[in-house]
Amino acid sequence: MGKSKNDILQGTLSLLVLKTLASRGPMHGYAITSHIQQVSSEMLRVEEGSLYPALHRMEQDGWICAEWGVTEKNRQARLYSLTAAGRKQLASEVESWARLTEGVRRVLRYA
Amino acid sequence: MSWSRRLLNLFRSNRHSSDLDRELAFHLAERIDDLEAAGLSHEAAVIEARRRFGNYGGTKEHTRDADVVSWLDALADDLRFALRALRHSPGFALVAILSLALGIGANTAIFTLIDAVMLRSLPVSHPEELVQVTMGERGPVFTNPIWEQLRDHQTVFAGIFAYSAFNRFNLSPSGEVRAVAGSLVSGNYFAVLGVQPALGRLLSNSDDVRGCPPLAVLSDAFWRSEFGADPAAIGKTITLNSHAFRIVGVAQSGFTGLEVGQATSIFAPICADAVLSGPNNALDRRSSWWLTVVGRTAPDVSLERIRAGLASLAPGIFEATTPLSAGAEQQQRYRKTTFDVKPAPNGLSLIRRQYRPALLTLMVIVALVLLIACANVANLLLARAAVRRREIAIRVALGASRGRIVRQLLTESVLLSVVAALLGLVLAQWGSRLLVSFLSPSSDPIFLNLAFDRRVLGFSIAVAMLTGIGFGLAPAWRSARVQPNAALKANARGVVEGQRGLSLGKALVVVQVAVSLTLIIGAGLLLGSFKKLATLDPGFRPSDVLLVSMSHPPRPGSNVDMRSISEEVLRRVRALPEVAAASVSQITPLSNTSWNEDMVVDGFSAKSEMDGVAYFNAVSDDYFRTLGTPLLAGRDFNQGDRLGGAKVAIVNETMARHFYKTTDPVGRTFRVRVGDRMEGPFQIVGLVKDAKYQTLREETLATAFIPVAQDTTIGGGLNLDLNLELRATGGGAIALPSLKKILLDVDPSLSVKFTRFATQVEDSLRRERLLATLSGFFGALALLLATMGLYGVLSYNVARRRNEIGIRVALGAGRRQVTTMVLAEVSVMVCMGLVIGLGLALGMTRFIASFLFGLAPTDAATIGGSMALLAGVALFAAYLPARRASRVDPMEALRED
Repeated sequence: MGKSKNDILQGTLSLLVLKTLASRGPMHGYAITSHIQQVSSEMLRVEEGSLYPALHRMEQDGWICAEWGVTEKNRQARLYSLTAAGRKQLASEVESWARLTEGVRRVLRYA
Repeated sequence: MSWSRRLLNLFRSNRHSSDLDRELAFHLAERIDDLEAAGLSHEAAVIEARRRFGNYGGTKEHTRDADVVSWLDALADDLRFALRALRHSPGFALVAILSLALGIGANTAIFTLIDAVMLRSLPVSHPEELVQVTMGERGPVFTNPIWEQLRDHQTVFAGIFAYSAFNRFNLSPSGEVRAVAGSLVSGNYFAVLGVQPALGRLLSNSDDVRGCPPLAVLSDAFWRSEFGADPAAIGKTITLNSHAFRIVGVAQSGFTGLEVGQATSIFAPICADAVLSGPNNALDRRSSWWLTVVGRTAPDVSLERIRAGLASLAPGIFEATTPLSAGAEQQQRYRKTTFDVKPAPNGLSLIRRQYRPALLTLMVIVALVLLIACANVANLLLARAAVRRREIAIRVALGASRGRIVRQLLTESVLLSVVAALLGLVLAQWGSRLLVSFLSPSSDPIFLNLAFDRRVLGFSIAVAMLTGIGFGLAPAWRSARVQPNAALKANARGVVEGQRGLSLGKALVVVQVAVSLTLIIGAGLLLGSFKKLATLDPGFRPSDVLLVSMSHPPRPGSNVDMRSISEEVLRRVRALPEVAAASVSQITPLSNTSWNEDMVVDGFSAKSEMDGVAYFNAVSDDYFRTLGTPLLAGRDFNQGDRLGGAKVAIVNETMARHFYKTTDPVGRTFRVRVGDRMEGPFQIVGLVKDAKYQTLREETLATAFIPVAQDTTIGGGLNLDLNLELRATGGGAIALPSLKKILLDVDPSLSVKFTRFATQVEDSLRRERLLATLSGFFGALALLLATMGLYGVLSYNVARRRNEIGIRVALGAGRRQVTTMVLAEVSVMVCMGLVIGLGLALGMTRFIASFLFGLAPTDAATIGGSMALLAGVALFAAYLPARRASRVDPMEALRED
């Protein structure tokens, strides 16, 4: 996977996707990108090339499931929604993110 | 992601990728919409959308993931890593690969033979439609009159043909015989088989009529070797048994007849027997059994219908072909003969019948050897895994999953087995050829197609994969269960290593000992049988004896008098200084030829048909002296025993005992029943020691010898083959060229063939020798592997327990106690292995009972000897590690780490 300068920090993409799906219900990939960008006030930009591999991996890990649906523009889109396993995964990723940021914060403060 | 899912993805990849295409297309469409809404032109929006997405195709590839691509990447990584790991321990890799290569190679070699002999289909069209016609208990060999009746009356087969299975054509007009395998075939032979000509034409029905001109079709291989693939060979003549045959064509390449193991080089029509054998030919003989009959079934006709059709034909056919010379009772039995059929898609073969049990036995033996080799490598891997505990612990600590570790280690073991399999294939090519040369009698080579076909390759790949996973799985699984905490800490001092860790290794050693014992007992029984056969007193002394088979072509218009020819030959060779004794006979011992007659002896009544049969031979004077069979009573034949004089015979001890219940039959008489006629009486003038007749294995047969001078077939031009036996003086050799010159001087049209008697005897034991040699070799290999396994486990164990042993010694344990401790450990393993192996052997050796001679499958001496041998070798293997353990210096051992 190619790296790019405004790539989201490795490992946080799944956290963001899970959180998005948890708060907004079933969404297609494009909406997930737009949502993350909007909510983060354009500070975070999802690398579009890496979103779909991530979605598929998460699907195969059983965190999310997908089905074909129709959008308001009458286009066929694949809609992703959170599974129970995904909810658990989200909780643990939120917790570890909190620990990470807390750790980083302390280092920045005292080191 | 699980392997199964990943594999599923591979197969589903089309659906998957079209799903993905749609999804990505949707994404692009949405992005383009937004960009256009923001004011870009459509074209600019498309380009921008694509740009933001990055490499569209690349994304697809990534998304399909981890799926296939990264899986292959990981495989390549695993392979690279495995190679590096193996390069770091070349000793381990070498031992593992060599022992597996031997195992896999041996399996492939034997399987190649089984494939060639039993599984390969004939190179003809629709071989699955071919069935062999037999006559129930009367066997599968037909007379020409029966064949002609069958050919003319049957309607159940789509086609039917006959051929002679074992013809040898002599290519040289006279002098030393140059024999090739040939076959007399019915006219429609090639047409029914669907064999095409490579050149010229093949035979047809119009070539196979009485009085036919002598024509021949060559096999492609023979045409290449004999005529250098010269198209001008068509129309030339070739000399077969001194008769000129015109070559009409060459059969398609690869077709060498139906007899597996024999490369038929020349095909001539059945009617040509009139030319080859003259007035003596078998075309109208109702008691000459020489033809094999094969039919091609029509697609919609079941075997049941064919059997029914043949059953309704049988009475008429056997009525019309009843041998008139047979007795009334025999004729009645003959008329009741019925037909049967059996499928023959792989061709027909004497060697298949002869060697099937031997090959299957060998297959089991080599499979067991492979099992031992696998156990050995598994053991090595276990020891290695223990050494690599730290490495693996670190990888687990760094986040490698258990599945990943197992996979990595399995890649290593499969890599080992694949390299071993490649080496094994080379060994197998060489080994299977060696085996065939082993099986082939020197005079009559066996031809088998030993090229690897898909079946053989598939077999060895399957064996390699199975062994790789088989020996690798347990060690890999155990390694992956490592607890990084414990493993990394364990480098600190542990005083007493737990025993649990090696229980698998010990179990493997037990298995090795058990299986080795089975193999060694089997080998011991086969070797013992062979030794008994090879050293048994056959009743003659084959060394220094030269056998010369002489045959004369029939001479149209006048009789060939083989008797006067043989008398002249004897007169001249007996004058040679290097000849100690010389004789002629119809049959030589162990030559697979026999002649028996129904005996009529006063005071004797036969309990069964075979009980009243004696075996015959016609011999000249000095026959017994030449072969080294002692004359026990009475006299040898002499000049007085002439045609027309009183009929005389010499009998062996078994004959005297069986028919006369005496040890001195000289002076008694017997007669011989030929059909409804009696021949004789023969008066017994001498008694000779028992000697083997057809095989070394046989119970000595009751044998009667009559003088060549009184054998009416030899003088009357009926029998044109005779054997000459020469015993050389005091180990000297008889010069073949001068001998040949003498023979051709007597009659220039003689064909002669020289064989050492000793070679003929050895050839008769080749199956036994093959089994004994190979089982001995594999038994030794098994012993070696098991010893290595035992040594490896013990050495490793002693090395691991250095600390513990050091402490024991420091606390006052004597060298002796330490040695005893290690040896006790061995004894438990070996004893368990021996007990299990004994049970295994007792269960299995009865399957080789038919190969044994003079030994029961449960022969106590062999079994006891094998167990002692194995135990002895095991203790020897244990001695070195035990001694090393006893020399552990406590100071050094404790200071370490």
